[in-house]
Amino acid sequence: MKIVVLVKQVPDPEARVSVGGDGGPGALQVEDRWCTSYFDEVALEAALALRQRHGGEVVAVTAGSGKAVDALRRALAFGADRVLQLDDPALAAADGLGVAAALAAFVRREQPDLVLAGRQALDDEAGLVGPAVAERLGWPHAADAVALEVEPAAKRARVERTVDGGREVLELPLPALVTAQKGLAVPRVPQVTGVMKAMRAKIDKLDLAALGLPAADVEPRTAVLGYRPPPARKPVRMVAGDFPENVRTLAALLRDEAKVL
Amino acid sequence: MDFRFSEEQEFFRNQVKDAIDRLVRPRIVDIDRSGDFPRDLWDEFAALGYLGLRHPAVHGGLDADTTTSMIFFEELARGSSGFFMAVTAQMLMGTYFINRFGSDGIKQRVLEPAIRGEKIGAICFTESQSGSDLAGVRTTATRDGDEWVLHGTKEWITNGPICDFATILATTDPKAGLKGLSWFLAENGTPGFQRGQKMEKLGTRGAVTGELVLDHVRVPAENLLGEPGKGVRYVTDILNEIRVMTGLAACSIADEALRDAKDYARRREAFGKPISEYQLIREKFGRCWAQREAARTFLYRVSWMIDQGLPCQREAMAAKWVASEMCLDAVDEATRVYAGNGFTPEYPAERFFRDARFLLSGGGTHEVLLDYLGRSYLRQ
Repeated sequence: MKIVVLVKQVPDPEARVSVGGDGGPGALQVEDRWCTSYFDEVALEAALALRQRHGGEVVAVTAGSGKAVDALRRALAFGADRVLQLDDPALAAADGLGVAAALAAFVRREQPDLVLAGRQALDDEAGLVGPAVAERLGWPHAADAVALEVEPAAKRARVERTVDGGREVLELPLPALVTAQKGLAVPRVPQVTGVMKAMRAKIDKLDLAALGLPAADVEPRTAVLGYRPPPARKPVRMVAGDFPENVRTLAALLRDEAKVL
Repeated sequence: MDFRFSEEQEFFRNQVKDAIDRLVRPRIVDIDRSGDFPRDLWDEFAALGYLGLRHPAVHGGLDADTTTSMIFFEELARGSSGFFMAVTAQMLMGTYFINRFGSDGIKQRVLEPAIRGEKIGAICFTESQSGSDLAGVRTTATRDGDEWVLHGTKEWITNGPICDFATILATTDPKAGLKGLSWFLAENGTPGFQRGQKMEKLGTRGAVTGELVLDHVRVPAENLLGEPGKGVRYVTDILNEIRVMTGLAACSIADEALRDAKDYARRREAFGKPISEYQLIREKFGRCWAQREAARTFLYRVSWMIDQGLPCQREAMAAKWVASEMCLDAVDEATRVYAGNGFTPEYPAERFFRDARFLLSGGGTHEVLLDYLGRSYLRQ
């Protein structure tokens, strides 16, 4: 069984993020600390568990340049068999749909039985790329999986997802794309042997021409106009006075001013 | 000249950081408060394979170069200082002479299980009357047929109360002073090998430290590691690495203390504004950050010199001293940022303050290091 996992390197959740000067399209300032998107690691771990059960191959792919390669090294450290970086100047300006077009072209070339991706990236949290890849391929797709079983011989996958009040159980024919929710698997802490192997690995790249994809297919259809910082928190107001007068004042403020009582 | 780490080294650092963040950091406070060696964490950590980072692949290690190892030590020191001490006592110090001089049998029996974390090792320099002054070592090793008889008491032995084996510095020729010192392997379970109780310590708690008594311990001839009388010369080789490692631990402790104090300074208000907006507070961060950058750059330069095979004894001493003094200053300033709150274990500042004190003696006391550096400078 062959599984392709879509991975993305994102700013570390502890990285400082701020909106600079003019609030324009280039105003987002992100500290230079990166990690692989958590849900992608969940997807990768789930793929490795399926490989252990059914045999086969796990291939990790990412679209992007620079630090993006570390998501692939991380996948190798986890135990992925192969990794590929889709690196093309045209991808630098691509939006989610453009990235999905490139990834779908890669998946078409690999012809896996299953594609796994995180439910959303930790940076933009759009939750768009996974389903968009499935749409480009015309494949069935199930989002937010918390359990996944595959019957390779029957070419069938069974997915459980959390819904209000319980779990929904879906069945879909393979090949299919499934996005991973927290709970599907617990990402490992990789062993140092894997880390060292990944550290020394040469990462192969493919550009859009090699994928047979015209640059027009990844042109952005959305434009970022700017960024706005979240509104500043209102200052804390301390209620002065002795008990029980201060409690009466507080209750009155909550009722009349904040209108929460 | 290029002062950047390679992409691969940065990747390695991030993976170590991830492992420390997930396994060690959640345990920092518990380890410090109990002072107990966290054996379960040790086993979990050993399973990741890092204990073999510097050792040969043929024995289950990874053959990493000095700088890669130093990146590991620097990140390891961001977690529990006690756990850092326990791990480094094993992988850098306790196994060093066994890897370098041990027979194949010894390596299979001791080194390979140590790399897997199944056996815990210690290194024994210090005695009641001898620390940085190795000429004061009184533990003797006497040849008796095909055996050596080890006799003496070692003190301040990290991992001592829990060790399965120890490399022991002993004199084979008491009249020869430093030129009579040699290294031996002794194993727990051998008659006369007595592990002492855990000592109470100010900092680096969780690395259990204690006495090791060798009461006429008989070991086979092959347990002599290296040539007799060359013990001190061998020590010089490992001390450079120990000093760079200690210096990088100082950088990490300082960095953690400063980052924590920075968050506090931004939150804590006095006279109507956060204390981070006062010049005297900003000066602390500016000065400490600058000193830390200088120390860290110096340390990685020495690490590079070790990898290049360049002589660097003086540089290693100097870099360790610079980094340790920087750290002692930084943890002190961090507690000042906290003011009264730096005096209670409710906040981390006092833990950094306590942990940093080990830097004053680890890798040589500053008095001994500076005396040597001064003499050596004046001689030139």
